[in-house]
Amino acid sequence: MGDLQLEEIYKDFPSHRVVDGISLSIPQGCFYSLLGPSGCGKTTTLRMIAGFDEPDRGLIKLGGRTLNGLRPYQRPVTTVFQSYALFPHLTAAENIAFGLKRKGDPDTARKVTEALDLVQLTTKADRLPAQMSGGERQRTALARALVLEPEVLLLDEPLSALDPKLRKQMRLELKELQSRVGITFLFITHDQEEALSLSDRIAVMHKGRLEQIGTPQEIYLSPATRFVAGFLGAVNWVGPVGVRPEMTRISREAPGNGARVVEATVNSAMFLGDCFQVETRTSAGDSIIAQIAHGLGEFQRGERVHVWWHPQDEIAIPQ
Amino acid sequence: MKRLRALFLLPAWAFTLLLFLGPMLIIVAYSFQSKGIYGGVVEPWTLENYTRLFDPLYGVILLRSFVMAGAATAGCIVLAFPLALYIARSGTRKSLLLNLVMLPFWTSFLVRTYAWMFLLRDTGLLNSALLALGLIAEPLPLLYNDWAVIVGLIYGYLPFAVLPLYSNLERLDKSLFEAAADLGAKPWEAILHVILPLTAPGMRAAGVLVFIPCLGAYLTPDLLGGGKSMMIGNLVQNQFTSARDWPFGSALSLALMAIVMLLLWALLRRDGEELL
Repeated sequence: MGDLQLEEIYKDFPSHRVVDGISLSIPQGCFYSLLGPSGCGKTTTLRMIAGFDEPDRGLIKLGGRTLNGLRPYQRPVTTVFQSYALFPHLTAAENIAFGLKRKGDPDTARKVTEALDLVQLTTKADRLPAQMSGGERQRTALARALVLEPEVLLLDEPLSALDPKLRKQMRLELKELQSRVGITFLFITHDQEEALSLSDRIAVMHKGRLEQIGTPQEIYLSPATRFVAGFLGAVNWVGPVGVRPEMTRISREAPGNGARVVEATVNSAMFLGDCFQVETRTSAGDSIIAQIAHGLGEFQRGERVHVWWHPQDEIAIPQ
Repeated sequence: MKRLRALFLLPAWAFTLLLFLGPMLIIVAYSFQSKGIYGGVVEPWTLENYTRLFDPLYGVILLRSFVMAGAATAGCIVLAFPLALYIARSGTRKSLLLNLVMLPFWTSFLVRTYAWMFLLRDTGLLNSALLALGLIAEPLPLLYNDWAVIVGLIYGYLPFAVLPLYSNLERLDKSLFEAAADLGAKPWEAILHVILPLTAPGMRAAGVLVFIPCLGAYLTPDLLGGGKSMMIGNLVQNQFTSARDWPFGSALSLALMAIVMLLLWALLRRDGEELL
């Protein structure tokens, strides 16, 4: 057991460089997310840790032991695939038993029962993947990977195949599961909301490089680059500083002292259910969007307003 | 529109009725008549041709045919599986390799079977080479026996086993192999526990596609078996040629057809639309 370390990892595909010198240290027992848009190299990074691909340069270490060159079946890591990759000819229980049987584990039956219980699939043990719902397949894939007690569990966008409502529920279950089993989770996602809500730490990737590593709060509130700021949520850029729409206020009268104020004209106002989204334009032509709670007034198109925010809510990108 | 669609079916229907069903009915009629002295059929109508089918002599030939066709089918599948797996994982070279598998079809089956005779006979390529190398003192009896027939059948029908297995393997999600390895399966374990079970439909399709033509084969046993290795196809052929017993030949071929249809029915019942 120990930390997972990536040291200066490079990977080229015939047409371009996919992973461009990545170094990461993932503490044992951490829920760690690799967040980035599609094509940023996050899945390739996962595949190199699992052993499906080999890096061109760089070392992958787990608890000080180098994993480079080991075949996937020799590595103490398991994977939850985006498509789940459940064996279609095996039942949920048989899928979960697959890895244990390869190891010749004498405790297979008991461990399978426990794993089924862990993911609440005891009553579905004899179902084939084709007879399961999306959520059940997802949980089978999780149990199948966890039952081997890996040092690191790799999750490749495991929630993306689920419908939005189920996705939120599985998110809770996943977080709960991780804190229960205490295994290091490396979670690959392009969904910033997923990464923010689940992770202890997030590494944001872009074009094969790391943009920033930090806690969800650090990444969201103090993004290191414009890319990170924009990828984690909407930002209004006013010159060199940014401010998130939910931190932006609108009023007809000028606000009190200490606030940053811009005068603008309301361009559109949209009711989003939990708030109003008001888009304004400054005299300089910048668009500033504010999300304001109910009861803070309704604004009409063409109205002259004061757009303002507190200086501590500003996003300042280090130069 | 509906009428137009029906019209599109017409050529195929006409062809099938005239050239398939017609001769079929003639065969059925023949099988219930008596043989003429110089071939052909004459009255009276009789069931004798069918009762003759149960003569043990023919039972033995039928059994032999089953064993030979079964051996050839097993041989084809054993050879085709690794080949199909290799092709399915060959990326951009897939279509080239598939075309190479089909290449033998570019020449006549008869010519290719003669080529095997040149390979296997006493003064053939194989025996000459072994003699020249001093590995044997006198030619091995490679031609004119059951083994020669089975080798010939395997050679002739191998592509029919490769294609369905290939299309089965090609469709398997690549991440299944990765998942097997990820869960600790060595490559041979992944093949045994994941790929083989998931290739069962392809195996059945390959089995049917090879077994049926092998069961009725007459050219290969005739040329490579040298008349010593008679299969049911040769028996049927004989009835229409040297034996001049068209009614019995008709009854034999209908019996063979019935057996094949029974087999197909049993298989199709098992995995429905998956086959072929």
